[in-house]
Amino acid sequence: MNSDVAIETRGLNKIYLSGFWRRKFVGLKGLDLTVNKGEVFGFVGPNGAGKTTTMKILVGLHSATAGEASIFGVDHRDPESKRSVGFLPERPYFYSHLSARELLRFYGRLFNMGGSPLEARINELLERVDLVKFADIPLRSYSKGMLQRAGIAQALINKPELIILDEPMSGLDPMGRKLIRDIIFEERERGCTVFFSSHILTDVEQICDRVGLIVRGELRAIGSMEQLLGDDVKSVEATFDIPKGKTINLNQEFITSRRTRDDGTKRLHVTLENALVGPTIKEVITSGGSVVRVEPTKKSLETVLEEKIGEVRREINEKTIGVL
Amino acid sequence: MNRLLAIASNTFRETIRDKILYSIIFFAFIVILGSVAMEEITIGDQDKVVRSMAQGAIRLFGSVIALFLGVGLVYKELERKTIYTIASKPIPRWIFVLGKYTGLLWVLALELALMALLYTVMMWSRQGAPHSSVYISWVMLYMELGLLTAWAMLFSCYSAPTTAALFSIAVWMIGHMADDIWYFGQEAASASVRSASEVVYWLLPNFEMFNATAASVHELPLTLSHFLGVAIYGVGYTSVVLAGAVMVFGKRDFK
Repeated sequence: MNSDVAIETRGLNKIYLSGFWRRKFVGLKGLDLTVNKGEVFGFVGPNGAGKTTTMKILVGLHSATAGEASIFGVDHRDPESKRSVGFLPERPYFYSHLSARELLRFYGRLFNMGGSPLEARINELLERVDLVKFADIPLRSYSKGMLQRAGIAQALINKPELIILDEPMSGLDPMGRKLIRDIIFEERERGCTVFFSSHILTDVEQICDRVGLIVRGELRAIGSMEQLLGDDVKSVEATFDIPKGKTINLNQEFITSRRTRDDGTKRLHVTLENALVGPTIKEVITSGGSVVRVEPTKKSLETVLEEKIGEVRREINEKTIGVL
Repeated sequence: MNRLLAIASNTFRETIRDKILYSIIFFAFIVILGSVAMEEITIGDQDKVVRSMAQGAIRLFGSVIALFLGVGLVYKELERKTIYTIASKPIPRWIFVLGKYTGLLWVLALELALMALLYTVMMWSRQGAPHSSVYISWVMLYMELGLLTAWAMLFSCYSAPTTAALFSIAVWMIGHMADDIWYFGQEAASASVRSASEVVYWLLPNFEMFNATAASVHELPLTLSHFLGVAIYGVGYTSVVLAGAVMVFGKRDFK
């Protein structure tokens, strides 16, 4: 096992049997995945792609049908592999009769922590997730955002070297999402590895060092943001202000929206091909207009994901036609 | 050990904060106190009738609480998905099962102690100090409740509470009729019926082994050898059932 690897799976398979006739449903199909120590790794894919299944296998909530998985070189089935892992499930549920402080004390004891070091860690985490004021009231009176923050705190109680977060931003307001992002950055600074799934692809683009795209149980792409998205500028989005009474010679197809401001100025939002950017700006300035904004647009993670989903659909269609 | 005790104490705290438990104990208290009323409508040895009624109530409500707690506790962890954040910690599953079971045993001990205290005070005020066999019979009842809880936990590891409750009640009823099933089989003409009754007798628990109500009501002494025999049977059988629960729970996926 490579000492620089936090998570490694080889040929990981999961087949679910459901219904009276025990019909097979493939959850994971030969997943080979490597997450390096110290990186923030985003695991992205549509619903039912296998993200949660992978995480559940890693933390011991599900068993794999075949294949191997290890955490810091220790077989994932060994409970000791979880000693340096923090896990936040999607939509976390906690004992509603406990307060956040009692909850953290309980989880701390599951790591054999106790005494003043545990109490100090609890206070530190309550402060970090902004729950100090609500630390001693039962969780049943918490909002969803507060529960998610309590969930993050329990995932950090053991100062983990690997944090596995399943949809940590799901259902959070912008402040809540920022808090999670900040915690992820802080943990990375500390040297911690973060493995997380999310449907909010803009967050993934901002946070991750590397991303894996999974569709129908298969890893379809893996790499850094640059590797997946490339550096090529596809087009340029620009905003121009054209004074009242002036006109510019611009193909209407490029204009994505327009509105007239209070002083009669027309504000145009346009999308231009690279080659047309220079001539268009020149035209705007010559006409007495001004350039408000020019922003190159690159390929997004969403586009890449859509491409991969399209690829899988085409493969399935081809197979179906082949069978017919 | 620390981790097992953490799960046990959390289970204990969760259970004693459950209002339904207090409702059952309240009804148990009413029935135990109500047994005094039997004096008014009984001819003969009224003291024995009161003792029998009160002890019967303790046995019945103790069993109801054991079933209620044992059936729901593991299932609730799965249903509410609280298991996700526990099973993802460095906790072998056997520690989780035994931790939950230990927590339940603490609750049963508390509940039995409360009912025993009420009985003792009630008897003391009317008939004098209860006979020592009463206390021994309660220790035996505690062992029975422990075994019943283990069965309920085993069922709740793989089925919904209603199903688990039905199975547990069935085991409880059959377990109290074990001797009858044995005698029925011995009297049967068919060899297959005889064999079937023997299989049921040896496979399912004999809860009547733990029943010392007759001795305690009639204030007869219970021998140490009898008590030790019952204790070995109870602890041994409970261990086997718990091992089954650990095996079942160890193999399941948490959806």
